[in-house]
Amino acid sequence: MTRMKLGCGAILRGTVVFASITSLIAGPALAEPPVDLSKWSPEYVRSIAGTEEFDTAAACGKVTPLDYKGRLTFWYQGVFEGDPDLLRQYYKDFFETFRKTYPNIQLEEQALTYNDLLDKFRTALLGNAAPMAVRLQILGGTEFASKGYLQPLKPEDVGWKTEDFWPGAMKAVTWDGVTYGIPTNNETMAFIWNADVFKRAGLDPDKAPATWDDVVKYSKQIHDKLGIAGYGLVARKNAGNTPYRFMPQLWGYGGGVFDESDPNPTYGEVRLNSAASKRALQASYDMYVRDKSVPVSALTNQQADNQPLFLGGQLGMMISHPSDYNVMLDLQKKATGSDKDKAQTVIDNMRYGLIPTGPDGKRAVVFGGSNIHILKPEYVDGGKVDEPAAKALICFWTSPEWSLKMAYAGSNPGNLNGFKTKWMKERLNNIKFLDVTTSMLPYGIPFPALPESPEIMNIIIPDMLQNALTGAMSVDQAADDAAKKVEALKGGGGL
Amino acid sequence: MTIVTGQAEAPRRPEPARSGMLRKVWVHRADYAYVLPAIVVMLLVIAYPIYYTVDLSFFATPPALQLKDKVFVGFDNYQAILTSDVFWRVTWNTLIWTLASTVISFALGFATALALHRDFMGRGILRAILIIPWVISAVAASYIWKWIYHSDFGVIGAILVGLGITDRPPNFIDSVGTVLPSLIVVNIWREFPFAMIMLMAGLQTVPEPLLAAAKVDGASAWQRFWHVTFPHLRNVSTVTILLLAVANFNSFIIPWIMTGGGPSNASHIWITHIYELAFGRQRWGVASAYSVLLFLILMTIGYFYVRALSGDKKEDPEA
Repeated sequence: MTRMKLGCGAILRGTVVFASITSLIAGPALAEPPVDLSKWSPEYVRSIAGTEEFDTAAACGKVTPLDYKGRLTFWYQGVFEGDPDLLRQYYKDFFETFRKTYPNIQLEEQALTYNDLLDKFRTALLGNAAPMAVRLQILGGTEFASKGYLQPLKPEDVGWKTEDFWPGAMKAVTWDGVTYGIPTNNETMAFIWNADVFKRAGLDPDKAPATWDDVVKYSKQIHDKLGIAGYGLVARKNAGNTPYRFMPQLWGYGGGVFDESDPNPTYGEVRLNSAASKRALQASYDMYVRDKSVPVSALTNQQADNQPLFLGGQLGMMISHPSDYNVMLDLQKKATGSDKDKAQTVIDNMRYGLIPTGPDGKRAVVFGGSNIHILKPEYVDGGKVDEPAAKALICFWTSPEWSLKMAYAGSNPGNLNGFKTKWMKERLNNIKFLDVTTSMLPYGIPFPALPESPEIMNIIIPDMLQNALTGAMSVDQAADDAAKKVEALKGGGGL
Repeated sequence: MTIVTGQAEAPRRPEPARSGMLRKVWVHRADYAYVLPAIVVMLLVIAYPIYYTVDLSFFATPPALQLKDKVFVGFDNYQAILTSDVFWRVTWNTLIWTLASTVISFALGFATALALHRDFMGRGILRAILIIPWVISAVAASYIWKWIYHSDFGVIGAILVGLGITDRPPNFIDSVGTVLPSLIVVNIWREFPFAMIMLMAGLQTVPEPLLAAAKVDGASAWQRFWHVTFPHLRNVSTVTILLLAVANFNSFIIPWIMTGGGPSNASHIWITHIYELAFGRQRWGVASAYSVLLFLILMTIGYFYVRALSGDKKEDPEA
């Protein structure tokens, strides 16, 4: 099988270079970045892979001596049920290697899932019982920096340069002009479909839907012809999966919460109730209510629930990481009897493509990822922060080697030098469909860099979807209600 | 009744003139001394949090500020709660959830206890099986039920479709109309064994000679139950209902894990809503005001139940 069995390779090569590179790449004037972002394409990524050697221990040894004796408490967003086994192994390897490299640092790490981390971390902060360092989802950095919980921390503090990281990612760790963290990984998802399902439904098996309107049409066609769900809609509340799948649709239609998809966002005007935003919500309504062409369980589902549906041949399309291919392989290994063959057929027919555009040709995806931060001592359990130990761990995680390995199957290295490592070369050969998600990076739009963003993305947006999809409100009412809630929230109130 | 004061052998000194409650306290001073350590611990772990929650309920805690930067707003949080649509919806959900879960769990537990009170082969095994829902972790049970109810590949849906009863799996937890009843079924499944155990213990106290005498006097099975068995179970029934009602008012695990209060707030009950306000949205002040209201409601229920429990007890003549 060829690496890119997408039928859209030419489109990828042709469009990515000319993609509208918005706030993601735009940034303050800095020294030359280690990779040329203006040339970003699958070919360029391939050409730089394996061109440089990096010695993590030597680099981090300059930040914190390798014989340093200390203690570090650390919480991080770890692997969860929807991640592939490969990633679990890399997390295990990371902590083992860190302990070997810094044998005198007593590391007490705790993994939490995406959905639990914010709640637990907020609670710990109220009781001054936080860990010394934390790795948070990209949404969280601004909230905690604006409240004064985090110490200023920039890449230079751990031996790297600011220009080693995506400018868009650096914005997510900056508040009031001060940098409070370092990106560990940055991700953009892609559009996945089952070619066999497409074929049986009378669609071109090698062609992804070009627009979101096409997604609605394809989803209905798949459902009507085959009786299965067309598109893997996700609308659960308090689950990161929901905004990661709805925001590309919202932005594609030209809408937004604010003006976050503009090149220089100001987050002043609330646009959730704009005509474009309502059109995006209407598309979800059409699929869920009018056509009944998406999983009924979308309101209580996460992406982890879509994965078995897709593997069972019961779902035609979804948005996800390249890691979903590895997840499917893991799930297939666990299947028995005829299910095993059925799963293999789905895997053979998995196709990845660019996320569809809106009616005006706008393509967008969430520029996601995670950041790592150091807490101020007064909020930490015991009232002390072992800074050298924290910096040793942060240097390690954000190094070209580990920022790549820890994002091996599903994401991309936060440190751009990771793209130049030998592990990137190996990854390009091992991880199928990686090209598509790296190709989506220039279309990435970061969440609004506001302390209110977690509530907007995890509660208000899913509530808006649920209100419209359950019929509790009309599409117009749901969008107006959500816009009102965002206005109230920005004003410091709202129930 | 003999009251041990620890000073029984000492010559009685003339007691100062005291009346009512103070006199009772003085008489029972040794008893109070025994429970003092427990009271101190309770004050630390219960009274202070209650005080802090009441205090916090008068402050606004904007999500962009630390808790220490809270702003005094008087009764604004209470006013905002009582005038919000969500409050009344969540309150209605809570009442339905609590009443339905309590009444049906109790009735089912009662029926099962009566059935298991008779001697028959396999009674022990059946009793052990029926206790399982109460013994297993509520978290695990919630995840299992979520899978059983799943609107696309749930067990119930697969069986119904397989038997040709429906074309599509029924929508249990993704519909605003069916989600709450579906969760109540899970809650009853979890709770009725508790009522069953309590009432089975109560049934052991019903005197067999009394039942036999009633039978000899020609009482029917229903008359024996209503005039002999049921009166003996009055106290244990009151306690069981009180415990079930309080537990149901405070329920969290089942609705939170299975639906997170959704869809569209249709399965939010007070505790899940308070949790979301506090930990998901950081409205500590509003969440505290909600908690104070819930506390007052529970205390009122508790007061009336305690009164009902002790209503027929005579005043201690020595007190």
